[in-house]
Amino acid sequence: MTVHAIHIFDRKGKTLFTKRYTTTKQQLMQDAEQVSEQRKLIFGMLFSLRELVGSLTPEGGSPALQSVKTGAGTLHCYETISGLRIALYTNNNPVMNTLPGARAAGGESTSITSFQTALKYIYSEIWVECVVRSPLYRPEDIQVDPLEGRDNNAGRFDIKSTNFEVKLDAYLSSMPWFR
Amino acid sequence: MASSKAQAGQTLWAKMPKANAELFALTYGSLVTELVRDYEDPIEVNAQLERIGHSIGVRCVDELLSKADSSNLGSAVTQCGNLRDTAEVVSKVGFRMFLGIQAEVGGYSQDQRSFSIYLQENPLSTFVELPTIGDEQSSSSPSGGLDDLRKLKYSNLYCGVIRGALEMVNLKVECTIVRDTLKGDELNEIRVELKEVLSDGAGDDYKEE
Repeated sequence: MTVHAIHIFDRKGKTLFTKRYTTTKQQLMQDAEQVSEQRKLIFGMLFSLRELVGSLTPEGGSPALQSVKTGAGTLHCYETISGLRIALYTNNNPVMNTLPGARAAGGESTSITSFQTALKYIYSEIWVECVVRSPLYRPEDIQVDPLEGRDNNAGRFDIKSTNFEVKLDAYLSSMPWFR
Repeated sequence: MASSKAQAGQTLWAKMPKANAELFALTYGSLVTELVRDYEDPIEVNAQLERIGHSIGVRCVDELLSKADSSNLGSAVTQCGNLRDTAEVVSKVGFRMFLGIQAEVGGYSQDQRSFSIYLQENPLSTFVELPTIGDEQSSSSPSGGLDDLRKLKYSNLYCGVIRGALEMVNLKVECTIVRDTLKGDELNEIRVELKEVLSDGAGDDYKEE
């Protein structure tokens, strides 16, 4: 399994969606608060890096931040002009399992572009289709985390009410680097 | 550059699912009528139309960005460097993509902080006639002087859509309908004025310490 987690943040850093695909010992011991604190750090890091990259990029270049690599894993990120950030945490050097047919189309693409393409796809084909088009969608009023207080969340839009997660899982697990 | 945006708009329009224009106009018409009936005050109706438009706009923008992205039109719709670019995208890509109509931009102010969008045709106002002052005796309005309806901005929805969509890309704008074919002008003009460019920043969740 090479995909560890996916987070989706809005412009203000609010978590709109989060899902873990693997659990480590350390994570098992963390409670919800620590996990949400950790997400804030992830967003903070992406945000600051983006600002820094923006100021370092020469005139006319694209300041897009694509991934952050550490010894243990890579955080792939994709930011839309509307301020949505999708962060996908995988391990390094994902194994490219050969899927019959699936890879033939984009055969020349390197792993980075295929992650970027995948994130783009998640945005345009899954997020927009399932969440933005949902009649219940309120951009300012998304129920963030199922673990956060349930009582005062009545009437809020919950992404769980769409088939976003189902489609996301189906898409990610069809990817050659998923496991 | 301008032509590539028009082209992008055309491509995106071709990809959009279509709805019947008459059905669309009539649905919008009944919505406005309902609002007029409920709120009675045209000024309030304008505000409500604007609010509805805003909700539409904040959704439209993702639709536009994602569609433009996935059809490799990224070059036409990237981060805009200035308001001129933004105006082009709104009129050439936005209006084209969602309504299939030609919109022109112009009338940039000296400081480049406001511009006008000109619509030759307005799909919302097909079949529409606003009552003139002379019609006051007609029975269609439940209460209030019908001459009040002259204050109704029938297509105020556009203002909201533009405001909502631009708000999502960090531009706070104010829109007003300046000229309206329903009021006897030769074309529709929407004035868009940039109030401020919002800065990115972390939200309230991050402000505890």
